[in-house]
Amino acid sequence: MAELVLNRVDKIYRSRKGDVHAVQALDLTVKPGEIVALLGSSGCGKTSTLRMIAGFEDVTNGSITLGAKPIHTLAPAQRGVAMAFEAYSLYPPLTIAENMSFALKSSKLPQAEQDSRVKAMAEMLEISDILNRYPSSVSGGQQQRASLGRALVRDAGLYLLDEPMGQLEPQLRAVLRGRIKHYLREHKCTTILVTHDQTEANALADRIAVMEGGVLQQYATPAELKVCPANLFTGTFIGEPPMNVFAADVKTSADAVSFMVDGGTTLSYPAADMSAALRERLATTPKISLGIRPYALHLGDGPVKGKVMACQWLGDQTHVAVDVGGRTVVSVSQERVSRAPGSDVSLNVAARDLHLFDPKSGMAIAHGGTLA
Amino acid sequence: MSQLVIKSLSKAYKSFKVFDGLNLEASAGEIVVIFGGSGTGKTILLRLIAGVEEPSSGTIEIGGHDVADIAPEHRGVGMAFQNFALFPHMSASENIATPLRAAGAADDKVMAGVAKVAKLLKIDHVLNHSPRELSNGQKQRTALARALAASPQILLLDDPLRNVDAKLRFEMRLELPRLLRQSGATVLYVTQDYKEAMALADRIAVLANGKFVQTATPEDIYTKPATLGVARLFGDPSINTGETVIASDSSGAHVVLGGARVSVASSYASHAGRAVTFGVRPEAVELGGAEGLEAEVVAVTPLNERVVLLLQTASGWEFLASLPATAKVPDAGAKIRAGFAEHGTHIFDRQTGERLHG
Repeated sequence: MAELVLNRVDKIYRSRKGDVHAVQALDLTVKPGEIVALLGSSGCGKTSTLRMIAGFEDVTNGSITLGAKPIHTLAPAQRGVAMAFEAYSLYPPLTIAENMSFALKSSKLPQAEQDSRVKAMAEMLEISDILNRYPSSVSGGQQQRASLGRALVRDAGLYLLDEPMGQLEPQLRAVLRGRIKHYLREHKCTTILVTHDQTEANALADRIAVMEGGVLQQYATPAELKVCPANLFTGTFIGEPPMNVFAADVKTSADAVSFMVDGGTTLSYPAADMSAALRERLATTPKISLGIRPYALHLGDGPVKGKVMACQWLGDQTHVAVDVGGRTVVSVSQERVSRAPGSDVSLNVAARDLHLFDPKSGMAIAHGGTLA
Repeated sequence: MSQLVIKSLSKAYKSFKVFDGLNLEASAGEIVVIFGGSGTGKTILLRLIAGVEEPSSGTIEIGGHDVADIAPEHRGVGMAFQNFALFPHMSASENIATPLRAAGAADDKVMAGVAKVAKLLKIDHVLNHSPRELSNGQKQRTALARALAASPQILLLDDPLRNVDAKLRFEMRLELPRLLRQSGATVLYVTQDYKEAMALADRIAVLANGKFVQTATPEDIYTKPATLGVARLFGDPSINTGETVIASDSSGAHVVLGGARVSVASSYASHAGRAVTFGVRPEAVELGGAEGLEAEVVAVTPLNERVVLLLQTASGWEFLASLPATAKVPDAGAKIRAGFAEHGTHIFDRQTGERLHG
């Protein structure tokens, strides 16, 4: 069990066309046994970060230590790291079973132990029936599970999983997520997974590092990311469907705080709904970006008036798009809701569900009535 | 009246049968989603309707006429594809104009047609841009505008949201039904995403193993799936299943699941002795009661605004529960009792896979 620490890590790809600063001064600590997701769109620096930890890329500046020992200067094989690759990278001439036990061969584990580990892992990942087949004869989803299994059967100080479940069959994904999370916990595996899929990150990770443009935007638990996004980027990136964001003018008085939203709607709250410190801040902040998550925007009575554009029931939730002063806002309900397109509706949002951002810097000002 | 009628349509390549004896009717202005996994022949079906491929047998009628001898450009069919397929050397405007020009429309008619559809799709400000200057969303709208430009009777959309990012896909999912209705076209829309299918469709036709296994409203597909296969394709997480046998005794109809007795509606008593697959949707699993199946929480995995729990009975049966994130969620390792709400419980014949009517 070892703690992984990235300290001011830079990755700069140099080329004649100019340098690309792929990862910028990244600080990240992964506690022993913790599951951390690096989450972001393509080009955000998440994969470069993973490859630097694995040793497939040099660190341009900064250091990476595992259990206080610097590892960024070691060869990949000496880092004690097990990795599952996005492109699977299975050995074509070896069977699925041989691929999975490959790294155990040099582990000095008794053969019987090696075999039983591979067998149990194959059962967990539901690939027992293909253990004697070759990679080229099984599906992409099965290859991905084999690649994941090959990494997880090992005893390693650190497990690196690159988009480990992107190709999995949808019917299997939810169960496998549960089993893999249970396995990582039971075995206290310190794990970093890279993904562009927030669903996967939320399901598996203890903490998520949200990256964009090579810069760490926020490093927090899934719940904190949802409740207290550090900036507008994280706020709109995390959450499905995305947060509704409005430009708003702020007006404060002794007993109320009002937000005049573009399009003509005014949201007013009793002063008591906001902390004194926040009211003081808002008194000198005439313009804000107001974020409201679709789940926090409730159909019923309320100051937000609009016309229903679409009402879509998806089995376990209903998505309603409403035209409010020429802008589309989205409300989601866990219940089944029927509203005819074209009908008039009112919406409300509680003060505790408001997210306020500085429109210039994008930094969070307040969440739920208290300063961020 | 049905705008599109497909009768006994079959397509085979040499000995490989793609589908066999498909029947489908779509009324004017209706949005029918063709839903199925990859390799089920969804795209081939669209190509047959467009006329760029010929069926092995069967007929296609558009507006009451068999179109077997009508060339693709005269069928009144517009098509848009998942990879946009815009002509790279033409501006957005010229791309959109191609079907109008192909139909020999005069210049002013072409310009008016392009302007109208561009306004509808909110791309009027980028009409002079070339495809590489457009964002993915704009490309996708341009492709859609091109398909709509000639006011087709039938619009074929082949997974148009597949290659766009999640945010845009979501926006378009909410916006498309209205745009499609304004166009007035009868729409066949292909997708592999069940949420997209439910969101867009008036009716969904589920294609599997060369047949339409169920053609029904999204509500009926979800709440009354014709087969276990259909039930599995709709819902995230997918429906839980367990193999069991229906039994009936003095205290009612029941099945044995995970080593314990689970009551089912008394009307299933008539199926006593039948080998079945018991299915329960994760959102219909109810925790916190004093009654129900004993299980342990193996893992807790948040899923958007819901929380998914992996549960396991002492006998080893695994199943998932999906709760609103606002609910009281037990921790991993907790022992709970699970009940199954009737609205999400379905029982299927184990041999045929068909849903039993309880």
